Amino acid sequence: MAAGRAAVVCGLGTHLPSRVVTNEDLARELDTSDEWIRSRTGIGQRHIAEEGIATSDLAVEAGGRALKSAETDAVDTVIVATSTPDHTCPATAPTVAARLGLGTVPAFDVAAMCTGFLYGLAVGGGLIAAGTADSVLVIGAETYSSILDPEDRSTRAIFGDGAGAVVLRAGEPEEPGALGPVILGSDGTGSELIRIPSGGSRDPIRAEHIERADPYFRMAGTRVFRNAVERMVDASREAVSRVGWTLDDIEVFVAHQANVRIMNAVADQMRLPRSRFPVHLDRVGNTAAASIPLALADAVTTGALRPGQRTAIAGFGGGLTWGAATLTWPDVTPV
Amino acid sequence: MSDTYPRLVQLLVKNFGFETDEVTPEDTFSKLELDSLALVELTLTVQQEFGIELSDDDLGADDTLGQAVKVIESKPVVA
Repeated sequence: MAAGRAAVVCGLGTHLPSRVVTNEDLARELDTSDEWIRSRTGIGQRHIAEEGIATSDLAVEAGGRALKSAETDAVDTVIVATSTPDHTCPATAPTVAARLGLGTVPAFDVAAMCTGFLYGLAVGGGLIAAGTADSVLVIGAETYSSILDPEDRSTRAIFGDGAGAVVLRAGEPEEPGALGPVILGSDGTGSELIRIPSGGSRDPIRAEHIERADPYFRMAGTRVFRNAVERMVDASREAVSRVGWTLDDIEVFVAHQANVRIMNAVADQMRLPRSRFPVHLDRVGNTAAASIPLALADAVTTGALRPGQRTAIAGFGGGLTWGAATLTWPDVTPV
Repeated sequence: MSDTYPRLVQLLVKNFGFETDEVTPEDTFSKLELDSLALVELTLTVQQEFGIELSDDDLGADDTLGQAVKVIESKPVVA
């Protein structure tokens, strides 16, 4: 990275709703089974928010813990990456900032679905590099349970609720925790592969044709699979080469926890051992924009990710969007 | 004699848990119970192994391994 200010990860916080829904629980209400879900996704259970809990509630918990982890009670900016905001408008971030006691700092949402956390890191890092901010709280928070079709066994098996957050501060490019360039991309020709068909300006939900509306999240899983693998591999190759590493220099690869078979395919395509890809989705499912910070914290807690290790992160999501970045993992204790 | 078929079988053995003598050129992917996700995984693996590019539907559930060999051999090596 060019000389100058870098954005350095200095705090990590997470929050999962306490209610756990196992595959067996789903099999009691849908035509599915533990074996079917595990063999196709690697997921064993997911956390689901209680009725009345919104994305900002999860974001406030995770954000507060990230501030505690960073041993600070103030940041200059709050970014919430989410595709399940409390309301279509306004953004969720100002509410979160206010409830965290951060005063009148700038706060806004980033909408890049499962790649949202990487987009948020890129924006937060850019604000720091430009001198606009000295510290940024980046939160990925989702309540996918609020947008899933109760009858759709495939999406209900995959998605869970949760939040994860990091604090970025201004620092030096060479210090542990400094983010390398965040490689981002999008391909809107695939926008129909992952979306909620109705409820936006393209197809507003109106009383007179409410029976035609589809307000639920839809995903064309098989077509997404290949895109996810190829885009994450390409972005990761570029992120790694931009900091002068080779692929084999990656000691730990924390991938968006979409599907263990996607993660295995990414590892195989990069010819890296699958053991370098920590798996968290078996216990939490796909938590969309929250998945990377949740997986980072879990990897630190289990000892899979240690200070000083060369780390890659990569994600892929609706839009289509994707991204990847590198950092040397800092001495940060998740809260 | 082309080695495409034995290489394809090796990929099925290594990545999908088949035994070498368990498959024949007449078997379709659906007979081998490779679902749509597995076909995508196989497509990615075949691209890597053979240095070719495959489209999403080059390997279909109703194709036999023998037909897949012909598809693979029809593609120019790009990598």
